[in-house]
Amino acid sequence: MTRCPAGQAEVEMAELYVKPGNKERGWNDPPQLSYGLQTQASGHRRSLLTKRVGAPQDGSPRVPASETSPGPPPMGPPPPSSKAPRSPPVGSVPASGMEPTSFPVESEALMEDVLRPLEQALEDCRGHTRKQVCDDISRRLALLQEQWAGGKLSIPVKKRMAVLVQELSSHRWDAADDIHRSLMVDYVTEVSQWMVGVKRLIAEKRSLFSEEAANEEKSAATAENHTIPGFQQAP
Amino acid sequence: MATYLEFIQQNEERDGVRFSWNVWPSSRLEATRMVVPLACLLTPLKERPDLPPVQYEPVLCSRPTCKAVLNPLCQVDYRAKLWACNFCFQRNQFPPAYGGISEVNQPAELMPQFSTIEYMIQRGAQSPLIFLYVVDTCLEEDDLQALKESLQMSLSLLPPDALVGLITFGRMVQVHELSCEGISKSYVFRGTKDLTAKQIQDMLGLTKPAMPMQQARPVQPQEHPCASTRFLQPVHKIDMNLTDLLGELQRDPWPVTQGKRPLRSTGVALSIAVGLLEGTFPNTGARIMLFTGGPPTQGPGMVVGDELKIPIRSWHDIEKDNARFMKKATKHYEMLANRTAANGHCIDIYACALDQTGLLEMKCCANLTGGYMVMGDSFNTSLFKQTFQRIFTKDFNGDFRMAFGATLDIKTSRELKIAGAIGPCVSLNVKGPCVSENELGVGGTSQWKICGLDPTSTLGIYFEVVNQHNAPIPQGGRGAIQFVTHYQHSSTQRRIRVTTIARNWADVQSQLRHIEAAFDQEAAAVLMARLGVFRAESEEGPDVLRWLDRQLIRLCQKFGQYNKEDPTSFRLSDSFSLYPQTIAQWRKAGYQDMPEYENFKHLLQAPLDDAQEILQARFPMPRYINTEHGGSQARFLLSKVNPSQTHNNLYAWGQETGAPILTDDVSLQVFMDHLKKLAVSSAC
Repeated sequence: MTRCPAGQAEVEMAELYVKPGNKERGWNDPPQLSYGLQTQASGHRRSLLTKRVGAPQDGSPRVPASETSPGPPPMGPPPPSSKAPRSPPVGSVPASGMEPTSFPVESEALMEDVLRPLEQALEDCRGHTRKQVCDDISRRLALLQEQWAGGKLSIPVKKRMAVLVQELSSHRWDAADDIHRSLMVDYVTEVSQWMVGVKRLIAEKRSLFSEEAANEEKSAATAENHTIPGFQQAP
Repeated sequence: MATYLEFIQQNEERDGVRFSWNVWPSSRLEATRMVVPLACLLTPLKERPDLPPVQYEPVLCSRPTCKAVLNPLCQVDYRAKLWACNFCFQRNQFPPAYGGISEVNQPAELMPQFSTIEYMIQRGAQSPLIFLYVVDTCLEEDDLQALKESLQMSLSLLPPDALVGLITFGRMVQVHELSCEGISKSYVFRGTKDLTAKQIQDMLGLTKPAMPMQQARPVQPQEHPCASTRFLQPVHKIDMNLTDLLGELQRDPWPVTQGKRPLRSTGVALSIAVGLLEGTFPNTGARIMLFTGGPPTQGPGMVVGDELKIPIRSWHDIEKDNARFMKKATKHYEMLANRTAANGHCIDIYACALDQTGLLEMKCCANLTGGYMVMGDSFNTSLFKQTFQRIFTKDFNGDFRMAFGATLDIKTSRELKIAGAIGPCVSLNVKGPCVSENELGVGGTSQWKICGLDPTSTLGIYFEVVNQHNAPIPQGGRGAIQFVTHYQHSSTQRRIRVTTIARNWADVQSQLRHIEAAFDQEAAAVLMARLGVFRAESEEGPDVLRWLDRQLIRLCQKFGQYNKEDPTSFRLSDSFSLYPQTIAQWRKAGYQDMPEYENFKHLLQAPLDDAQEILQARFPMPRYINTEHGGSQARFLLSKVNPSQTHNNLYAWGQETGAPILTDDVSLQVFMDHLKKLAVSSAC
């Protein structure tokens, strides 16, 4: 059986959801919108339905004036209603090498595919980051492994962690950071104990990377100067 | 521009300003006869994605008593490189950097489309944002757990170099020392005794030791890292430890016996938070965020005692002056709120409980400082969780929408004076030629401080026309107002937003219909409502209602067309048609705008999409009621829009439609009938 990590687009589409609020604790508690849905940039759409209508001056109820009559729905793709069934994700096809599945829910992320790169990233940081911080991160990665192996993590969390690790490995720090944020917002109960370690790891990796890049630039510059004969080195 | 509706909308979009009157009455006498004062709603930080800030500082008028900012209304002599201030007529030399300007090469601030423009201040140290969490631990287990998780989540939403701190309270108040080392320490205070700022700072070790004589320059807090930053640390350093610290928080250990309330020392906790920030980071953007699950029951600021059999004060108690703790508690929180505003900080209150939490006494904390007040049933609800998340929403540039430490300075042309402002601000007591002696709202000043604000924060600003009746206004003359807002952007950089507007004067006798057409009834309704609420703080409720009714009748008499004593002949032009209905709604505090009930019958899906749009963006997160005609929840909609079925008339209908709404409000129809009768009566 092939195991394939869900494509990023599928994961993202599936995470634009609306959950009901906690009606037991809050009277008419509003629905809970996922992080993805809340951060969707919505254009400023003047909704016709909220235009006020004046009171009838002659005492009889009147049909709303033309400017308030039901016009076309707001422009742009309507956000998914909580009542509508979830439609299959549209967008890019998963990466090559995968059997095309109509719905990626069946494929699960592999624990090793997530833990190993994280542990490797931590190793990379060991020279650059304080020991105490590294130990703290290590402790939390162990906790992550324990919870994963113990079946305590839900599928969406595992899928998003897989995508996070991909972004981290590709040096896309902001994207990885955003995924960590989306997990903290949507699944805080599951992830809060160890996610802050992942967050720190992304930050440390990012700063290590830019340090290394800066050092490389410096050494490349000095190397260039040495190969040009007869010129004084720039002070 | 075809209609004034477009004019109003375009001006709101560009300048964040809406005036009650867009054509101004040219004399003081006539202005008072207009009933609705000349006033505007100003959103100082109106979101303008199309307006990038300019990277230089504004050019100011050189007259020391003026200092207006160069703006599109100024006359410019490009050859002589001079400009004339449109407020005081002083001629000013352009600074050397403007040497290359000409008619075809204008600086942005002179172009009409930049009536609103933002400047970035390059100089000066940029201090980080500060978030101080003050957390009530007298909560039920799952409420505390939900709150802890929300706070842990927020650490992922804060910028990495923001400073964060934690104070927890119950019977005692604990100030947590945040360290990166293993052991966590805290300073414990009794919740019964208030302390002065100095005492708090001494006890926390924040007072600087005596300086040796040779140290001439003032010492910055950052130079004593061990002192001030023990309690406020950058997120990127402290997030892992603070996550654990939050995770380990327990319910207040003090046992609560049968028939008692938990001992909650909110007053002292807030006092310590204010004192801590006062001593470490005065005059820089900071939010004190108070999370509480019940009323303060101990110490200064207590609102009710710990005996459950003595209920918390009700409206009857307040009316009969029988609320034992109210005056003292309100005074305590007002003192804290004023100190906080003076320090440039703001206080948020997140109160989640099924019973009251003393928000009446504490509301000044949010109102004076520009903080948020959020009421929910429990921290374990999506209403609280999502509202809290939305505080940290980012704008199109990836910056927080929240801003800090704003000062608003207003200048008017000489025919106008400033009567006051109503909104989340405090006065800076700046007198001057623009300041009127007649106060409406927070008056006696031309400058206010707004310590916490965001792109939707709006002030109501009231003006007085001072031009005498017999002093003629030149043809085509315009009055002008300039709004200058200095503030700290969430990127920590300081900015200045300048809005300069002008409107035409008109003679009321000859141009009444013109003035009428330029009336912004929505803005007028909101401005009158704010005035009504402001008056209600110091006057009796019935007096305010009577005032509001009188204003409405006078307005209808002035602008309505009717035959005397004939109510059926009464007509208001379209510019006014919504105003009475809106006022009828405003008579009862807490009414919100709701869509026309009829739409729900005809459009089933569109409102749900609409609601989702609103739910995605609105702050705070609203309760969401999905109902249908005859459904039990429909009564809330009916009671707010048009209470035609109340306990007063239910049995006259002879129908059974479920419980009536207990309101003494009349239906809109009855209200309008009475209004017409009064307006056309010569006795009024």
